[in-house]
Amino acid sequence: MKFKALGITAAAAAFALASSVSAAPEIGQPAPDFSVVDTAGQVHSLSDFAGQTVVLEWTNHDCPFVIKHYGPGNMQEQQRMARNEHDAVWLTVISSRPGTQGHVSPEQADELTRSRNAFPTAVLLDESGDMGRAYDARVTPHMYIIDGDGILRYMGGIDSNPSANPADIPGATQYVVAALTAMANGQDIDPAVTRPYGCTVKY
Amino acid sequence: MNRSLCLFWLAMASLMASTALAWERGVVHRDHIEVELVAATTSVQPGGTVEIGLRLVPDPHWHTYWKNPGDSGLPTRLNWTLPEGASVSDIAWPYPEALAMGHLINYGYEGEHLLPVTLTVGEDVAPGDELTLRVAADWLVCEEVCIPGDAQLELVLPVNSDRPSPHPDHADLFEQSRQQHPRTVAWPAGFSIEGGQLSVQIEPDVDLPIDTLEVFVAADNFVEHAEFASVTGSNGQVLIAQALSAFRSGSPDTLPIVLVDREGERAWRLTAEPGALVSDGSLLAAGSQTGWLLAIVLALVGGILLNLMPCVFPVLSIKAMSLVSGAGHDQRGHGLAYTAGVLLSFGLLAGVLLALRAGGEAIGWGFQLQSPWFVGILVYVLFALGLSLSGLFDFGTRLMGMGQGLTEKSGLSGSFFTGILACVVASPCTAPFMGTALGVAVLMPWPMAMAVFLALGFGLALPMLALSFSPALARRMPRPGPWMDTFKQAMAFPLYLAVVWLLWVLARQTDANGMAAVLTGMVVLAFALWLGARRDKGPSLAIARHVTVGLSLVLAVAALGTANRFQHEPGEGPASAWWENYSPERLSELRADPEQAVLVNMTADWCVTCLVNERVALNTDAVRQAMADNGVVYVKGDWTRRDPAITEYLAEYGRNGVPLYVLYPHNGDQARVLPQVLTPSLVVQALERL
Repeated sequence: MKFKALGITAAAAAFALASSVSAAPEIGQPAPDFSVVDTAGQVHSLSDFAGQTVVLEWTNHDCPFVIKHYGPGNMQEQQRMARNEHDAVWLTVISSRPGTQGHVSPEQADELTRSRNAFPTAVLLDESGDMGRAYDARVTPHMYIIDGDGILRYMGGIDSNPSANPADIPGATQYVVAALTAMANGQDIDPAVTRPYGCTVKY
Repeated sequence: MNRSLCLFWLAMASLMASTALAWERGVVHRDHIEVELVAATTSVQPGGTVEIGLRLVPDPHWHTYWKNPGDSGLPTRLNWTLPEGASVSDIAWPYPEALAMGHLINYGYEGEHLLPVTLTVGEDVAPGDELTLRVAADWLVCEEVCIPGDAQLELVLPVNSDRPSPHPDHADLFEQSRQQHPRTVAWPAGFSIEGGQLSVQIEPDVDLPIDTLEVFVAADNFVEHAEFASVTGSNGQVLIAQALSAFRSGSPDTLPIVLVDREGERAWRLTAEPGALVSDGSLLAAGSQTGWLLAIVLALVGGILLNLMPCVFPVLSIKAMSLVSGAGHDQRGHGLAYTAGVLLSFGLLAGVLLALRAGGEAIGWGFQLQSPWFVGILVYVLFALGLSLSGLFDFGTRLMGMGQGLTEKSGLSGSFFTGILACVVASPCTAPFMGTALGVAVLMPWPMAMAVFLALGFGLALPMLALSFSPALARRMPRPGPWMDTFKQAMAFPLYLAVVWLLWVLARQTDANGMAAVLTGMVVLAFALWLGARRDKGPSLAIARHVTVGLSLVLAVAALGTANRFQHEPGEGPASAWWENYSPERLSELRADPEQAVLVNMTADWCVTCLVNERVALNTDAVRQAMADNGVVYVKGDWTRRDPAITEYLAEYGRNGVPLYVLYPHNGDQARVLPQVLTPSLVVQALERL
């Protein structure tokens, strides 16, 4: 019996090692590192934030799904909650290629933060799209949460109601809020992967 | 900024509009789209039905969405307000188009289109009445950017006892939409998920145009829409494979799929049940009651047959003898304890398997044998049992319930342990013997799968259980006597054969050095067992003996550890003239040669699907011939052991498991991924199309 358990454990370990590398990031695995400049010209890497929870938000200010969450202040509220209550880092990422819809200059990005009363730690300008592709970010908003050990804990949509109607926000499960709360309470994040809904990222 | 504010107010305005309930008639203009609520006829009869629908005309190059919008977007929604007694059906979605949005794919409609529903009118409306039909519609209309829109639409339809006449403006649109509405069919269809890929097997009752067939999985957030489905056909079956979405959470209970023959203006809607794909051409739908019951019966019969396997029979036959000879004692208790041991072991093993499976591991039954440790331990156990039957020592016989064990108080636990032992020794035989059926079970929902595994265990335990419960049956067993000793000794030989088989498996996992280590370990083990059975002549001698026995056992295990270190370097498997071993360098070399096409087969000895595919399809003469005729080099990668090069290759194709079959054409064109379930004609067809 003991031998058998040993055999199974050995086999299980072999499998765990055998299956990891894949295109899209995986929950429970180290999140892809990045090195992207923010609106102030400062370069940020994931490793800079070791020990802190990092929330990534892909955005495009003209996208109606982004507007759905910025219009009534839902996104800003979550940014404040994440940074103030969970001591998290909130990085807003813009992966629109120059010349495409949603691409902004550093000044425009800062102006958007000011005018929308947003509260990100930094706005990253991923013009090459390298960071977006590393995370397989597909839409705006597309959300990721990485824990202090650099492990990806959540990826997917901002909430459970794929609509462009702000009136749907109160009735929806806010996945990022739920995930941060679960992490703070030491609970499992469920769901850890959801459908990202929104506008296509313009790589 | 202005634009975003503008869009925000647009959204807010539409929100307010929905509360204002201003119902509009006729054509309504919104940003980049016009919409209208229309009917197929100019009137409706009391109690009759009529098709009505939302007509949408996006600007050129703009589109709206199907019920599964694809990687982004939203389906159009209709919320009806109807007169009392009237009701509408769900939207009869016309089949969509796959629309590229950068690197993503959306499913939707460009140009004028209609989302029809069937309206049923109450009996109590009278001719001369007018029905006011209202719908609150919302949609997303996109080009590069997306604009959400909505409208409150109204249509007044006169009630008339005459036969309704077609609407002069809209009847054609309804007719066109009807043609684009997939016909619902009940073709047998099963889907399975393995290694990050969806496989669907369908038995259509019409000829489908395999080369041009379009596949739309209707469940959202499930497949990778940008990775188009591969469609292959053979023997009246259609096999569809498509990568799964990286953001999928869970798996649907049933999978609705739309197939479109755009040229022939035909389309079908079918529902695939979760089920295993069995390569012999029959579909065993695991979700269905019959498939499940069949699997249970097969497992039960298989379990009973397992008793006859060379690794099991010697152990159990002797247990059976002892059970019979111990008449008058608690036979039933022993039978039950034994059964419990078997069931517990099978349950445990199946639990581990299913848990790994749920964690996304691409493994099949028999996965235990992937570990040289497990195989090695099994070699030792069977060898030790064999030696004890041969009379070298009686440790094993006590385990098997011989001698005093049965009458002792610990006898029940002895029987329980025999049950566990039966599962352990049966394990190498289960893999090849029951592989396919258990492979099926693994794909079922876990309670059903567990039931199949337990049925197998119960089958294994059944003969012994029957013997312990039926004195009549026990009386038919041969009477105990001196012949039993001979029988016992004879039974050692099948065990030694089983050991040889396991050593062969081990040899495939290690090399000559590893084999030497294990064989040395076996000799040391035999020595330890022999010494352990010696009578002591004095206390100091006893201590020396015990120390030696202990050391020898440690040495035996160490030998196994040594063998483990001689595992093959990846890619060193025995190649033949018939295939080449995979290496990234060799593959790029072959691909650079315009004379050569390449078929890559990523496989593993513990992957039942892989082995079945090889036996049923790849290793057939027809396929060999087709490879020779078409100048195809067959390259095989063995993932039986961990191999980073192969893991990397699998990841390139979005997989984390085997099997994976990739066909590279001569001219360096895009590689084609073949389905995970192969048939000879499917492979031949693919090879000939190079």
